[in-house]
Amino acid sequence: MSPRPFTILFIIAALAGAWFTGFATADFASHLDRQVHDIHCAWAPGLVDDDASASSGCKVTMMSPYSSVLRTLVWGGIPIALPGLATFAFLVFRGLDLFLNRREGDRGAARFLVVASLVPVLTSAVMGYLSIVELGTTCKLCVGTYVSSAACLAFALGAWRSSMAPTMAEDIAIGAGAEPEASGGGFGGLFVGFATLGGFVAVPSLVYLILAPDFSNFIGACGSLPAPEDKFGVMIALDENSGVPNAIEVFDPLCPSCKAFEERLEASGLDSQLHRSAVLFPLDQTCNWNVGETLHPGACTISEAILCAEGNADAVIAWAFVNQEAIMAATKADPTAAAAMVSAQFPQVAACLGTPATKIKLTRSLKWAVANHLPVLTPQLYVEGVKLCDEDTDLGMDWALSRLIANPKAKAEATP
Amino acid sequence: MNNTLHAALAAGTLLLPTVLVGGWVTSAKANIESPTGEVRPVAVAAAADVGYCTPELKKVLRRVLQSCGLSGAAGGRGCQPLEAKSIMGTGPVAGAKPTKKSGVVSGDDFNALFMPLAARAGILQFDKDSSELDVADTALLDRLFADQKGASYFFVVARSSPEGGVEHNRALSQARGEAALTHLRTTFNDPDLDKEVGLLWLGEEFAQLDEEFCKWERSSSDGTCQPTELNRSAFVAWIDCTL
Repeated sequence: MSPRPFTILFIIAALAGAWFTGFATADFASHLDRQVHDIHCAWAPGLVDDDASASSGCKVTMMSPYSSVLRTLVWGGIPIALPGLATFAFLVFRGLDLFLNRREGDRGAARFLVVASLVPVLTSAVMGYLSIVELGTTCKLCVGTYVSSAACLAFALGAWRSSMAPTMAEDIAIGAGAEPEASGGGFGGLFVGFATLGGFVAVPSLVYLILAPDFSNFIGACGSLPAPEDKFGVMIALDENSGVPNAIEVFDPLCPSCKAFEERLEASGLDSQLHRSAVLFPLDQTCNWNVGETLHPGACTISEAILCAEGNADAVIAWAFVNQEAIMAATKADPTAAAAMVSAQFPQVAACLGTPATKIKLTRSLKWAVANHLPVLTPQLYVEGVKLCDEDTDLGMDWALSRLIANPKAKAEATP
Repeated sequence: MNNTLHAALAAGTLLLPTVLVGGWVTSAKANIESPTGEVRPVAVAAAADVGYCTPELKKVLRRVLQSCGLSGAAGGRGCQPLEAKSIMGTGPVAGAKPTKKSGVVSGDDFNALFMPLAARAGILQFDKDSSELDVADTALLDRLFADQKGASYFFVVARSSPEGGVEHNRALSQARGEAALTHLRTTFNDPDLDKEVGLLWLGEEFAQLDEEFCKWERSSSDGTCQPTELNRSAFVAWIDCTL
């Protein structure tokens, strides 16, 4: 079979990959304005309506620490989809070059398509593993990219194998002892090819870096705590770090954003550069009068369990993070379910839950939030009393927090 | 191979993602200057201030806390019956009938003031001629006090039934109010307690509770609710108002 059909299919697969990674890059870049945006989540982004039911997976993936690189260099980092887009653009170029220059029979060039296609395939394999194993979810744009990568490799292999079939002229030449054509497939060809691929990745990445907004003015400019003292002993120590800035994290144990924030913080390694204490602020009307409706059923009970589990609070927090959905679903059906679940897991807290002393301690935690005029949202992080802007708690966390840790008081002191 | 075509393809396929990326980033940059999304105001954590906290009620609340509070200008001693009457009667009370005498409010008007607190209040019932809290009393008191939520002020209003002399009953109601307060102090070790509590003792002289209050949560579990039993009591409640 002629390699031409395989080359055409290869170009279509590379275009599909560019389409998916292009939307992913655009979604990521749109967040550079520090606002909240909907993201594309469809098998045919831009052509069909986004699937709202699957959008959480797309959001989780984009907000995960694996969605970008060089996060401390630029706000949000460079989206991993951007080099993906550049790579697929490169594959389109190589495919079109073979097709329009009628070089499908060039075995070296066809072989390079196979080798170059391994780049997105291997990247897809790694990203797919992280998505499923580490994040426990997938996104449609990502899967579209993985499939496009695999299709590129499959069609490149088809084109290469077809190019190996001897032509009539070769049949004659083979008889005369000549070698088949293999231009551009040696080490020199590979070097030039991958250098070109490097250029394709470097140019748009540099443009991204150069044009990315400067957010320096926002560091430390989102407020500070007027009354950070813990006079009622309601704060929970989250680590034993010393010689580093103190930080207060306001969180709800059943808040998915808090869980994601914790994961990002750990993945960034910045948690080791802070001595963190937690203030519990459950978004559950059962105990928190500040919320109009309960967002996280059972959060008050789990917060009480954390306060009860002296010395073992981090284990309760970790368990709550892992079981957030189950706890909330069960408590929605039966208001006593959260207490039953946490008591089964941590029997030592059972007798302490719901007691007047525990309820008062949780109320004091909420009163601490009142005394500090905190916005009713979670998570919030204050480094030496200076707030990490809410807009910097997800994509921009590594960039903004590393600068806030380096000089927490700079902006606050400069502000009259 | 056509080198010109090769170079043109390379330039075209490189230029397209580069221009797109530049456009996306530039567009986001422009949005920082002039946000396009809807900016929703974020609520700020604050003490509770619920619907029944009318300006009139707040006025009375302020007077009570200033005159009967434990850390106020009055020296932190609470209020006894005559003081309570005059404090409550120096202005209109929310939901209360007009006063008959200038500067004095009726007992019914005084009690009407607390009707909106039904869901947050409890009545600690004492034995005859006793100011000792029993287990049921402390359990109810602890539970109600622990259910502070966003409330800023805690009222303790103690009474006595009409048996015995006026002076004796005045002292008895004071002892009942102070028993509740002492229990809170020793149990919860709250340094803000004095800023939060308004203490009044009314003896038998003023604002006796009627059967209407039998519907309220009480520490007595014997099922009966006679006015004499109801008034051997200290009424406690968090008030979800800010001043």
